[in-house]
Amino acid sequence: MAIADFAIPASALHGAFRAQGVNAVTTVPDLIQFALHDALKRDPEVRYIECAAENQALTVAMGLHIGGEVPLVMMQNQGLFNCLNTLRSVGIDARMPLVLSVGAFGREFANLGKPLTDSARVCTARVEPLMQALGVPLLHLETPDDLPKIAEAYATARSRQCAVVVQLGFFPSWT
Amino acid sequence: MPMNVFEACFLINKARGEALVVSTMSAMFAAAAIAPGPHNLSSVPLMGGASGLGLGLALSQPGRKVLVLDGDASLLMELGTMATIGQQAPANLVHFVFNNGVQFAGLANMARPGGAQFDFVKMGEAAGYVSSRRIDSLPELMAAAPALLGTPGPHFVELMIAPQPRLLTEMPQPELPDAQFHRMGAEARAMMQLLGVTA
Repeated sequence: MAIADFAIPASALHGAFRAQGVNAVTTVPDLIQFALHDALKRDPEVRYIECAAENQALTVAMGLHIGGEVPLVMMQNQGLFNCLNTLRSVGIDARMPLVLSVGAFGREFANLGKPLTDSARVCTARVEPLMQALGVPLLHLETPDDLPKIAEAYATARSRQCAVVVQLGFFPSWT
Repeated sequence: MPMNVFEACFLINKARGEALVVSTMSAMFAAAAIAPGPHNLSSVPLMGGASGLGLGLALSQPGRKVLVLDGDASLLMELGTMATIGQQAPANLVHFVFNNGVQFAGLANMARPGGAQFDFVKMGEAAGYVSSRRIDSLPELMAAAPALLGTPGPHFVELMIAPQPRLLTEMPQPELPDAQFHRMGAEARAMMQLLGVTA
């Protein structure tokens, strides 16, 4: 596969999240998800909230959820490491069905198409084992064929009443 | 004269009306004891989470007042939320910080970062709250409450609180009950029911 084949169009991601009712984003922006940030921020029906730290993206999202909105929490894998305790509290103990879109920052292009656990970079390789250890479901999106996993993530979050991570393995394209 | 946390929460509750209350740390115990009910959401065990929870609630429920009863060390942990509150500017949010200068008030009374010279009111001003002020006494709080709840915010209020006396010295510490870990989620679901929100 060519590298470009791993790029999921941002418009398709945007549509898939909106199809799940997403009408708000809380985020610390992610280098991987620039195109998706842009698509969601330009959507007039999506409330877009920039936060100073990932803990805050999670708590603001929980407040929005209680108030009846459907937030998507966007962050980088480094940010996921940064907010583990809040994820534990909000996403596990409090059983809030929040979906987190997490970019696989630091992934080597040579790792595309292979398990991320084979990456030499800790921030890339250890996300899946870490979420497994926490009991937080993780669904990995490697190519456009994986788009249905976004619906699966929301179904899982709602049925299991817990946070779910959607991991983006490569930069979405600006299309 | 610094206020007692229960006295301050009592006055805030008297002025509350239909407002939702997000609390943490010592104010959380006082708020729940004074006025239990589905209008309460406790950031527990989650130090630092109250301001973010309150912001999300205020934005999604613009027709309801939302009162955040924050701790001083808790707010310092997530100070960046003030920038987001200033930017999002929810008119229905009143953000109180209970400044007692200590952590684990009533248990160990350990010093919090920043000490007495840290200026929360200037932080509120710089973040862009509509108003930011310090309140030192119960009469002052009683006088200020109608405007805080009756005018568009977000408002920021630093309450000067006397720390509760340290209770635990050589006593064994109690085990934390399971309820402590389920409380925030249970309260969130009760509040959603109050608001008529379905997950």
